[in-house]
Amino acid sequence: MNNSIIWKRMKRSPFFMVGLIVIMFLFVMVFIIPSFVHYKPTENNLMETFRSPDWLSKGLKGHVLGTDELGRDVFSRLLYGGRYSLMIAFIVVFLQIIIGTVLGIVAGFFGGIIDSIIMRLCEIVLAIPNLVLAIAIMAVMGKNLSNLIFVLTFAGWVDSCKVTRNNAEVVRSQDFVRASTALGATNSRIMFREILPNITTPIIILASQRFGFTILLEAALSFLNLGIQPPIPSWGNMISAGRSFMAIYPWLVFAPGIALMLCILAFNFIGDGLRDVLDPKRKM
Amino acid sequence: MGHFILRRFVQTLIVLFFVTIFAFFLIRLAPGNPAIMMLPDGAPESAVKEMEIKLGLDKPLYVQYYKYIKGIFTEDFGLSTAYKRSVGSIIRARFPYSAKLAIWSVLIGCVIAIPLGIIAGSRQGSATDFFAMMFALLGQSMSPVWLSVLNMLVFGVWLKWLPTTGTGSYKHYILPILTLAYPMAASIARIGRSGMIDTLSEDYITATYARGLSKFKVNWKYAFRNALVPIVTLVGIQMGSFLAGTIIVETVFGVAGIGQLLNIAVGNRDYALVQSLLLISSLCFVVINFIVDIINSFIDPRNKLN
Repeated sequence: MNNSIIWKRMKRSPFFMVGLIVIMFLFVMVFIIPSFVHYKPTENNLMETFRSPDWLSKGLKGHVLGTDELGRDVFSRLLYGGRYSLMIAFIVVFLQIIIGTVLGIVAGFFGGIIDSIIMRLCEIVLAIPNLVLAIAIMAVMGKNLSNLIFVLTFAGWVDSCKVTRNNAEVVRSQDFVRASTALGATNSRIMFREILPNITTPIIILASQRFGFTILLEAALSFLNLGIQPPIPSWGNMISAGRSFMAIYPWLVFAPGIALMLCILAFNFIGDGLRDVLDPKRKM
Repeated sequence: MGHFILRRFVQTLIVLFFVTIFAFFLIRLAPGNPAIMMLPDGAPESAVKEMEIKLGLDKPLYVQYYKYIKGIFTEDFGLSTAYKRSVGSIIRARFPYSAKLAIWSVLIGCVIAIPLGIIAGSRQGSATDFFAMMFALLGQSMSPVWLSVLNMLVFGVWLKWLPTTGTGSYKHYILPILTLAYPMAASIARIGRSGMIDTLSEDYITATYARGLSKFKVNWKYAFRNALVPIVTLVGIQMGSFLAGTIIVETVFGVAGIGQLLNIAVGNRDYALVQSLLLISSLCFVVINFIVDIINSFIDPRNKLN
């Protein structure tokens, strides 16, 4: 499949295009707009607590989405929170895919006892529900950013390992792999130069679907105060803090809640769209 | 069939064995001495030693592991450092609340989602299909964090139809159950739909049409059965993870189940409790998956081969 065909299909897939546009919008919002916002996300101002949203009446100089219980600007917190969530999600998905792909190819290529060990390892991680596993590890290791990234990665690498393994196993027995074995190629060359390029499609599809899950899990952990720690904002901990005041000041939960929903929806659209585009045989 | 069940059973036991090892060592990575945490601040050295002996911390690791495994079989999970009660009795008191939430939300989710998914899949491209998929995509994108807070605000605070927290009457369960059921219904509907679409394009379905069977009969008698396998698998996974911890929903709505307990235990640094909850949740999960595999092998005998 060459690039122009893929691009043509992408343009025809409404899911993919909508998802892509929303994600591009979110990226501009969280990475570019914050430098134009007047207030800092962690700047307290106890004279100005619970101000209602100014919307855009004062431009970016006002409190676009009001202020919270410590007088911090909700709009600024929302954007910085999104920046953290997106960056963490990217790092985590990247690590998950690297770990999962390497283990999966090794399992699928060698088979036998190595395959059994890696697959049992996957089953053990799968046997503990994601959020429970993440909470237990966070509780024991302590709450900080690197532990959060470790926990999110650890809880989610299994899917890509299983997918890679099943695909690698199929490719391994094809003629061109046998041919390069006969030509004396080393194992690592066969695994990463011969097999890997032939199984990138399912890995790309899976990676795009992992973003939504990762952001969901991070929000849940932050909501339970086990993820990103205040005063650093994240959508999860903003909802958690805003919950106490939501009856009177609903924007405190609506702003992060809608942002969270929009973000996951967009990533799910991209994931589904990408599957339609790259793997047209299996339509969902 | 017997051979298949036995093999799956042994696999399940092996996985559970490794989960116990994982849970056992995870807790030992925790900073701080549990014996000191059981005692008031500034307890003398001798009291700490005594408590270590009482908790069995003076023994070598493999003895501690043996005791811990023996404890699992005799329902003696040790002492909760925060509650000063046996972990078993705390969990037993709270488990029914989580089970109630899990069972009801799975039931309601299935009742809504299975017909929706099947109808959407058999009328691919229709308006029904479009709306069903919008419903599903929105549901899959709803974080439990946001959905539970939103439901509470709309139905509890603004409309005042339903109570917001606690477990007094059946009304208290409606919001948590709906919050859990919606995202689940969404994924069941999607998997049911894609299962239907896959099955309806198979040759044997064309063959049943050729024999003159009605569309209704083909959909519900032949295609449905095939589409059911992934649905049962998914319901099993969902049910297992619900039992394991509807942590967010229970915390928001103040349901005194094991999910809320896990959150509290983490806050209290009550490691014995965290460890047992980890173990119990994966036990639920693994046992339900085992049952699901058996059910699926009855629905579709081909599954045994995998």
